[in-house]
Amino acid sequence: MAQPARAVQPAAKRPRLARGRRMYANRGLYLMLLPVVAYFLIFEYKPMYGAIIAFKQFNAYAGIADSPWVGFQHFERFFESYYFWRLLKNTFLLSLYSLLFIFPAALVFALLLNELRHKKLKSVVQTISYLPHFISLIVICGMIIDFTKPGGIINSALLALGVVDSPIQFLILPEWFRTIYVGSGLWQSVGWNSIIYLAALSGINPSLYEAAVIDGADRWKQLLHITLPGILPTVLILLILNIGQLLNIGWDKIILLYNPSTYPTADVISTFVYRRGIMEADYSFSAAVGLFNSVINFTLLLAANRISRKATKTSLW
Amino acid sequence: MKIAQRFPVKMLSLVLLLALVLSACSNSGGNNGNGDAAQSNGGNASATDNASEGGADTRDVGGLAVPIVQDPLTLTLWSPSGGNFRGTNFNEKLSFQQMEANTSIHIDFQHSTDASAEAFSLLMASGQLPDIIYSDAWGTESSKYGSQGALLPLEELIEQYAPNFNKILNDYPDVRGQITSPEGHIYYLPNLVLDAENLTQMFPQIRQDWLEQLGLEMPTSTDEWYEVLKAFREQDPNGNGEQDEIPLVTVSLENIMMLFAPAFGVEYGFFVEDGQVKYGPADERFEDVVTYLNKLYSEQLLDPNYLVDTTFQTLTEKVTTDVAGAWFGWSGSYMGNFTTLMEGKHDTFALAPVLPPAGPDGTQRHVSFRWQAGPHGLAVSSRTEHPEEVIQWLDYQYSEEGILLNNFGVEGESYDVVDGNPIYKEAVTNPTNGLTNTQELLNHTIGGGSWATVADPRYAEQIRIANGQTDNPLELYSDYIDFDAKLPPVQFSAEESAAVVPLMADIQTYAAEAVNAAIMGRDPVGNYDQVIEQLNKMGIEEVLRNYQTAYDRFKGN
Repeated sequence: MAQPARAVQPAAKRPRLARGRRMYANRGLYLMLLPVVAYFLIFEYKPMYGAIIAFKQFNAYAGIADSPWVGFQHFERFFESYYFWRLLKNTFLLSLYSLLFIFPAALVFALLLNELRHKKLKSVVQTISYLPHFISLIVICGMIIDFTKPGGIINSALLALGVVDSPIQFLILPEWFRTIYVGSGLWQSVGWNSIIYLAALSGINPSLYEAAVIDGADRWKQLLHITLPGILPTVLILLILNIGQLLNIGWDKIILLYNPSTYPTADVISTFVYRRGIMEADYSFSAAVGLFNSVINFTLLLAANRISRKATKTSLW
Repeated sequence: MKIAQRFPVKMLSLVLLLALVLSACSNSGGNNGNGDAAQSNGGNASATDNASEGGADTRDVGGLAVPIVQDPLTLTLWSPSGGNFRGTNFNEKLSFQQMEANTSIHIDFQHSTDASAEAFSLLMASGQLPDIIYSDAWGTESSKYGSQGALLPLEELIEQYAPNFNKILNDYPDVRGQITSPEGHIYYLPNLVLDAENLTQMFPQIRQDWLEQLGLEMPTSTDEWYEVLKAFREQDPNGNGEQDEIPLVTVSLENIMMLFAPAFGVEYGFFVEDGQVKYGPADERFEDVVTYLNKLYSEQLLDPNYLVDTTFQTLTEKVTTDVAGAWFGWSGSYMGNFTTLMEGKHDTFALAPVLPPAGPDGTQRHVSFRWQAGPHGLAVSSRTEHPEEVIQWLDYQYSEEGILLNNFGVEGESYDVVDGNPIYKEAVTNPTNGLTNTQELLNHTIGGGSWATVADPRYAEQIRIANGQTDNPLELYSDYIDFDAKLPPVQFSAEESAAVVPLMADIQTYAAEAVNAAIMGRDPVGNYDQVIEQLNKMGIEEVLRNYQTAYDRFKGN
């Protein structure tokens, strides 16, 4: 990472004309960059114009430009909604618990895998661990429903072990929803999320380990003083990015698992918007809520980035 | 090497060429066949209604001249496929092929395999509409999209170009009211059921053999239902020695509510009492419903998994594994289907329809019925370039010829005419290809119950009899239907909608949560007055005011 940056620096001091020549010399690279830039312009920046329907009463047949302005009406409606605070709290908690449990679990799992000497065993474990990532969400939720039913394997096991006297209605009791959501999320994504750490781990210079061994460091010391500092920037960047997604909780899994009885803990902003915005075709309202989400997420991202930069000198920018 | 590389390319192009030629052959073959059928059918039709007018090449179908166009025309139509419609492209159905031959209008079906409200909403929001749009929610959605300018107002076109549909509107004035928007426009042509005794939709069904096994009488009141369900739970009617019976199963709380709530004078939603629109969960009497269901739930008479097992598949599984005792369902897809599935697999399996239960004060009402004009049907895009041809094609669906095609398919293929009546062929009523007869029929046509056409009562009757049900269960309920107590398909103006939609989003969330919590005993049942209080706080009165306005306007139509 550091090397190319140093190589560029002296070049920057050259006269302006040189930049054009340099670009021409690297035209192949720029050509390869072009599709990515085009992608972002077309699919990420141009649609932002549509976000203005959050301040309009959108009518598909009048078009975005000709729909009447309504100011902050949709935002007010959302904030005044009886369930606003509950939705915010549920969204926040589900995200936070996912982050709290899944994020470190993936890291620990990657570290454990890294310590495995047996190459074959390592790749088998890794493959098995990220397989759930490829199972369709519908199937995952079907499995969760079957497992957690009275008469499902979880209840049968609990009964057999004498932990409970009668089966627990996991999916009907609101107090269980977050556990089920995060627990199944753990199973779904630990293997997959650990891949990026494994990549970072393989980037650590082996000579550091050799030097440590000569200095008499055991494996625990190596982990503390070489491995962890080596991947810390990756971990922090991922953490910052994750915090920037805190309110963007996927609604599809919740829609498939919740019911009116678990609304008190399971109903989140996106599921509410789904029932209210998409089903009722109230797109301006959905856009307003989406915009609100993005503003909060962006603020969180900025804050996390700033803290990280101050504390560890690692940051996104 | 070179030859080996070239060879597959040559082979491939040869195969492609062959495929092209073959498909061309089969296409022209198909067309020829259609053409012949069309001619013979045309001959029949003009022979029966000999009011033929127009040019030499057209004939008269109830006042509509067909073919509708001289030069073939293509119109586009959006509709979900699969599911109740069966098939991935409606042009594979013989009825639509025949229709194309008769009208010279080719329909380019744009199908969505996803029949959800979401898929429909997204289509409508795209602003890119085909000529004709199917929806099962036009009853409530058409005025919204109509006032946005998405749909074409059809009332004048109907007068001018749709003699068949216009005749129905004149013969059945109620239908006109049921499909007219607040501004007085007609934005869609609905599915129609014109005979009153077939308006019943779902109804209570019970394992008759279980009743006999335990020596029980058919339940007639809510108290007797409780006793019967309790006996089902405790006396092992399936005789396997285990207490695995789930006396009452359902795919949704709504169905259970339709079974029991009317006995207590209310419904789980909006209903009308003495001309006043009311919302069930905000009514004092709803506490009795919740108390009753709480009793069923706590004694495990109501499926403890009713909130989780919400698919028809899980319900079917419970019925076919001989553990389910009663449910609230359709005649065909529940009663008929289950009977067929259990044929030869169970010695005594027998289902019987049950009359709606009487409540503590004797109230006995059946609420699961439809209006003559269904909420499902076809609407027309405001941007269509062929409004006249579109309305004529739609009108054809309601002509005698169109009704036969949509309900029975093509004469000689799926039915024969015997003594002036269409009778399904044996291959349709008792198919040997592993399909149920409803499925086999849907290979031939679209089905009179789900399309913008008139549902022919002879269609349901013949299928029912082929399934071994000689009595029409739907007729049982005609006496218990109160048309004045059901909220008609009222449509809101834009302002009313803007007031109702946001309030109802919260109210529905709250009502579903509170009612389920009370049924499951998470909230003490005695606290129901607090639920009503909360609903009042959330603005149910303003919602009801808007409903009342819409209802009064509807009644004034």
